[in-house]
Amino acid sequence: MDEQTTVLNRSRQPLTVTLREFELTDVDDYFVWASDDRVSPWWRWDIFTNKEDVLTFMEETVLPHPWMRAICLDGRPVGAISVTRRTAEHQCRAELGYVIASQYWGRGITTEAVKLVLGTIFGDMEGLERLEALVLVQNVGSQKVLEKAGFTKEGILKKYLIHKGKISDMVMYSFIPSEN
Amino acid sequence: MNDDLRTLVSYIIYCYSHNHRPNQFIIYQLSEMNHDEKHQKPKTPTITLRKFTLSDVDAFMSWAADPRVTRFQRRDPYSDPADALAYITTHILPHPWYRAICIDNTPVGSISVKPAPGEDRHRASIGYRLAYDYWGKGIATEALKLTIKAAFEELDHLERLEAIADVDNPASQRVLEKAGFKEEGILRKYVRLKGETRDMVMFSFLLSDAV
Repeated sequence: MDEQTTVLNRSRQPLTVTLREFELTDVDDYFVWASDDRVSPWWRWDIFTNKEDVLTFMEETVLPHPWMRAICLDGRPVGAISVTRRTAEHQCRAELGYVIASQYWGRGITTEAVKLVLGTIFGDMEGLERLEALVLVQNVGSQKVLEKAGFTKEGILKKYLIHKGKISDMVMYSFIPSEN
Repeated sequence: MNDDLRTLVSYIIYCYSHNHRPNQFIIYQLSEMNHDEKHQKPKTPTITLRKFTLSDVDAFMSWAADPRVTRFQRRDPYSDPADALAYITTHILPHPWYRAICIDNTPVGSISVKPAPGEDRHRASIGYRLAYDYWGKGIATEALKLTIKAAFEELDHLERLEAIADVDNPASQRVLEKAGFKEEGILRKYVRLKGETRDMVMFSFLLSDAV
């Protein structure tokens, strides 16, 4: 079942944000944000320069992913959002990640997509009690998305991740359904 | 009565039996030494770190079989030394960095450094356990200090050491702070522990802090 909510476009006409599973036929849309040099600095993957590589990435990483969705605006994919359990022993926690094409930044679309995930993920993933997100300290836009979606900032983990070859400080956010 | 006090008393008796006035400076020195003995905190015993061998299994059981020690560990206390031997063989001996905390070469605990998975080789997490009888003597803090130094020297590219302590384990939080770790925040519902989900305090020690 598709999850959906409504945001307004620039002329205040309602647009619908929905989530659905990816298909290989989405490769053209995926290529839009995967090759976007405004998106690339904030994303752990290197920028994609051709559609064949994106197709391979979708086959190897996107389609087999345990929980990944296309963020759709009026039915058309404009980004991706995923929830990933990183350890086998601690099924209580999973990490949220998202990316959206730069022309759609600043319109509340990502926030709506995150809220849609929050409404469904704790039922979908058995035993999940904590949804966390790690954001570069410089990525203020992403921090605002999480805060508007109701996440709590827990602290800054210094020199936590290697991002694009550079050891980076990350802000840790979490959403605990029983507390947030 | 300790040696210094005995010396002080003998000196005073000698002075009066020989009609000497006791030298005030000597009295002061001897009484100060006696005072220091009584009021000094017990010194942390000298500890060393070394690799485990299979013959350490009995020493290993002194903490691994103790529920007070395993309270904040994922595993239950060992009851059979054969299980402990299997753990030493399959987990400890092949581990990238696992050491026995020793007093006079006898293990009283262990400390380990585990590099982060995947590409984040600049980051590693520390865990430690100590036999109950050795708590409260500064041993864990000393073991941590030795480990921090060794880890940054021996592990290539290491820049961040981290450790998590249960919110209900203030003793472990103090040990980390005394060893120079900095608290970064409380990660809620972070780990599963014996059927419960626990909040953990995250600490880090950066290579740039070690300078």
